[in-house]
Amino acid sequence: MMILLAAAAEHPNALEALSKTFGLHGAFFVAQVVNFFLVIFVLKKFAFGPIQQMLEQRRARIVAGEEKLKHIEKQLAESESTTAAAIAKANEDAVRLINEAKEGAAAFTEQKAQEAISQAQQILAKAEAAANADRERIATELKREFGRLVASTTSQVTGKVLTAADQSRINDEALAKVGN
Amino acid sequence: MTRFSVTILGLLLLAFTSAFGAEGGHHALPLDAQPLHESLPISNSITMVWLAVVLIVIFCQIATRKMSLVPSGVQNFAEWVVESLYGFLEGLMGAHLTKRTFWFFGSVFFFILTSNYLGLIPGVGTITYGGTPILRGGNADINMTAAMAFTFALLWFYWAISENGIKGFIAHIFAPKGVKGFLFWALMPLFIFVGFLEIISIGIRPVALSFRLFGNIYGGEQTLEKLMALVPESISFLPALPFYFMELLVGFVQALVFTLLCAIFVKLICDHGDEHESH
Repeated sequence: MMILLAAAAEHPNALEALSKTFGLHGAFFVAQVVNFFLVIFVLKKFAFGPIQQMLEQRRARIVAGEEKLKHIEKQLAESESTTAAAIAKANEDAVRLINEAKEGAAAFTEQKAQEAISQAQQILAKAEAAANADRERIATELKREFGRLVASTTSQVTGKVLTAADQSRINDEALAKVGN
Repeated sequence: MTRFSVTILGLLLLAFTSAFGAEGGHHALPLDAQPLHESLPISNSITMVWLAVVLIVIFCQIATRKMSLVPSGVQNFAEWVVESLYGFLEGLMGAHLTKRTFWFFGSVFFFILTSNYLGLIPGVGTITYGGTPILRGGNADINMTAAMAFTFALLWFYWAISENGIKGFIAHIFAPKGVKGFLFWALMPLFIFVGFLEIISIGIRPVALSFRLFGNIYGGEQTLEKLMALVPESISFLPALPFYFMELLVGFVQALVFTLLCAIFVKLICDHGDEHESH
């Protein structure tokens, strides 16, 4: 390049000679500039524009996707913690309910047992009372029957018609002996 | 059949057709693009640029016709290419500058790459109209490379001033960086001198960019032409064959070099790193 400049300085017509040698032509130069701008226009309009727009769109989509992913991950973490807390609370409630149920069941069982015992005791007492009453009634009947038999026997043996007072006395004496 | 075999076969076919498409004789590729019509400013490299534009439009239409969020096929490839270049430039210039300038650097890279590879297709330089080849590698024409380089130079000024302001832009070129106090003033004359050298460097940049790309692409095409002329026509594809591989590489590397250099120039003038550190 320096040689070219030196040559140009040495010979005033060197630039003209240079242009002639290499075919540097004003009209062609301008035409090629126009062509070059045509290339720029074509590439910018049909290639770089749409492609860069698509790349930008894809980049934006990836960024949005990443953001969405982060949001989803955050939501998932929150959901997991909420679920874990809910499960823990449910477990706690379940344990409490089970314990309460157990306690309730035990109390109920105890109550029912007590009721059963009480009822059994009442039944026993009633049965005992009934038995006693029966025994009393049977004993009374037996005594009466016995007295009647004794009085009848005595009447038949003695051949004497007994008065009520006699019958009562004989009954009392007989019963006093049987009772002893 | 492996992919490698298909590639080799394709290149052999390419070289064959290129050799037989030379229409009975090899000739040196002229340095300048030839006009196709006397009254119209249309050269054979301009038609090649139009062809590149048409192919780019077709590819873009196919790639972006039915765009979906889950890419597949050509859309996937196009997105991969654009995203890779964007990421590469972002690593070099930072997010802010890349966002501002990608339309230019992306266009420069893909256009140079397409144009370089189109220049290797058989028929380019051999199909003629009125004795003049109707197609010539776009970047094998200094007008095209200069058009890109000087457009970049203007945009460079625009980006530099819009990022730094006029005062910041001048300070960026002339003011001592990373020093304070007495040293600042002591070094001022030296930095003013360096600033003038920088201005010369800035002025030379588009010229260097133009000739670097033009030289490499024109040189590559000329090499293929000359190598084919070394042997009889029936086997003329043979010596050129290895150089097709090299030209594929050169086509990519030159697209990358031009884009990278432009990106670095923008980064250097718009970089506030040193100033922030010194304040």
